[in-house]
Amino acid sequence: MDLDINGSMNRKLLDQTLRTYLLYSIGILVVSAPIFYFISSSLYLNETDEALLLHKKEFNQLVAPFLKRDDVLIWNKYNRDVKILPFRLLRRDSMFNKTYLDSLENENEPYRELNAIVTIEGKPFVYSEKTNLVESEDLIESVVWLFFVMIISMLAGLIAITKRLSNKLWKPFYQTLDLIGNFEIDKEKSIEWPESQIEEFNRLNQSISKLVNRNHQIFKTQKEFVENAAHELQTPLAVFQARLDVLMQESGFSETQNEILNSLNENLSRLNRLNRNLLLLSKLDNESALQREKISIAQRIEKHLEFFHEQAQPKNLSFDIQLDTVREIMANAALFDVLLRNLLLNAVRHNQTNGSIHIELNPNGLCISNTGKGTPLSSDQLFQRFSKSDSSETGTGLGLAIVKRIAELHRWSIEYKFENDLHSFLICF
Amino acid sequence: MKILLIEDEPELAKSILHYLSVKDFVCEWANSKATALDKISSYEYDCILLDLMLPDGNGFDILKHLKAEHKTEGVIIISAKEALETRIEGLEMGADDFLTKPFHLSELQVRIQALIRRKNFKGNNVVGFKEIEVDIRSRTVRVKGDQLECTKKETDLLLFLMGNENKVLSKSAIAEHLSGDMADMLDNHDFVYAHIKNLKNKLREGGASDYIKTVYGLGYKWQHE
Repeated sequence: MDLDINGSMNRKLLDQTLRTYLLYSIGILVVSAPIFYFISSSLYLNETDEALLLHKKEFNQLVAPFLKRDDVLIWNKYNRDVKILPFRLLRRDSMFNKTYLDSLENENEPYRELNAIVTIEGKPFVYSEKTNLVESEDLIESVVWLFFVMIISMLAGLIAITKRLSNKLWKPFYQTLDLIGNFEIDKEKSIEWPESQIEEFNRLNQSISKLVNRNHQIFKTQKEFVENAAHELQTPLAVFQARLDVLMQESGFSETQNEILNSLNENLSRLNRLNRNLLLLSKLDNESALQREKISIAQRIEKHLEFFHEQAQPKNLSFDIQLDTVREIMANAALFDVLLRNLLLNAVRHNQTNGSIHIELNPNGLCISNTGKGTPLSSDQLFQRFSKSDSSETGTGLGLAIVKRIAELHRWSIEYKFENDLHSFLICF
Repeated sequence: MKILLIEDEPELAKSILHYLSVKDFVCEWANSKATALDKISSYEYDCILLDLMLPDGNGFDILKHLKAEHKTEGVIIISAKEALETRIEGLEMGADDFLTKPFHLSELQVRIQALIRRKNFKGNNVVGFKEIEVDIRSRTVRVKGDQLECTKKETDLLLFLMGNENKVLSKSAIAEHLSGDMADMLDNHDFVYAHIKNLKNKLREGGASDYIKTVYGLGYKWQHE
């Protein structure tokens, strides 16, 4: 049994079936065993009664007419089980169970007894015959045991067979479950199903295949759309840029016109950045196997520091850099640079005047933290595409999405924390 | 200096031709692979600007053709295809430089100059403007023979400005040139101002005239009075 997310119990299909079978069988056993016992013992009693009555009839027809009254004593002397007793009033033939002490074994044994009125030489006597029931009890006991053994072995067999058969029958289903569970829409095109003899499973697999294919198609189209859109935008953007560069060379613009041109330039520059980042992101989305090489993290960071020192100057930011650990990792160098640049630029961009930036490389990983807004950012939205902490920002809103995707491609973990007034990003390699 | 522009987008071609029509550049334009091959076999060029996606074929074919004919023209690929593989493939096939669309025309111009310099003046790596000289290889700046202490960025900036003489350069064009790979992320171009100011001061202190003009609200311009 597995516990699912909500904490409720999930039973396996097979266990569920077996459980039901088992409960039913036990129920039948419990109810039927006593019934069976009573029926068999009452049947036996019936048989005994009939035998007793038959004996009495035989006695009446074959023995009584020839028996003398004086012979009664002798009869009683030599007959242990059939006695002729002095007359006492009996309504009719009566049969009952009675216990007698067995003198041989010295224990009480159950007997069935018949008392009836017989006439010997015209005088009424009581005919009393008893039959030992011990044998019948033994018989019933044996029968009940036999019944038990039969039921139990039948049940065990049933469980074993059901289990084996179900396991075999449901195997394709579990295989299907595993395959769907492991399916990654951005990596695989379709699912290869194992052959199944069972129509329902084949139908299930076909339906899932259809669904997967359709989803994959949609996913692909969407990815291609972003990539194509970004690509198609490049030529008009290039024309726009070139035209603007030429226009700027014209003389005689007023200051207002210059400002408009400048604004066009800035926004075009932003548009270009956005477009290139979109292209990069869609390229990363399509990427599965990266070309990797051995790189030294500390070296890569140092390479970028000059630039960021310069960028940090207007805000008078201080850097606290601890690159003690010599750490070499297998990574795509170009993408690692993109990741570093995005994180460092973020640390500069979202910083406050006279703030600080901390870069720490330790055996755990790389931690880049910065001072800034005094409230934590929403770590859910942080890595989403086009999420910005405030709308006045000029960033593309894609930087952290790119960082996350690069980390994913390298199978690194990245997390955001807000501690001691520091916004930190920790990457574990 | 003869330049062949192979580009099928007329608007872009027109702008490039216009921007490059300065004193020592002669620019020709081919809008298809066929015209381009025709021109290449008839004339000698110093530099070819090559778009990879042409209506009648792939720009790589032109690269192959140049290689097969043992032509020595320098080639700058200007392409909308940015993928690293395309870039590497292009450079491996004999292209000298790769510029991704969209780009600033000022950037294109300095790339062409750098390429031609590499091709034509073997050994001579000095770029000069009046009393100012920049040694490209050692990245040193001299004014009237005396060396100026300039940072790498300032030297880059000086070369960029000198390479676009008499052209108004927007802040974003300068910023993107100076930030290189960072250009795709950098959204704040204010650092340009600091660099310009420092460079201006150093040149003035070194005894050079002030060639850097501020175009109000728009950018900067390298201009001889």
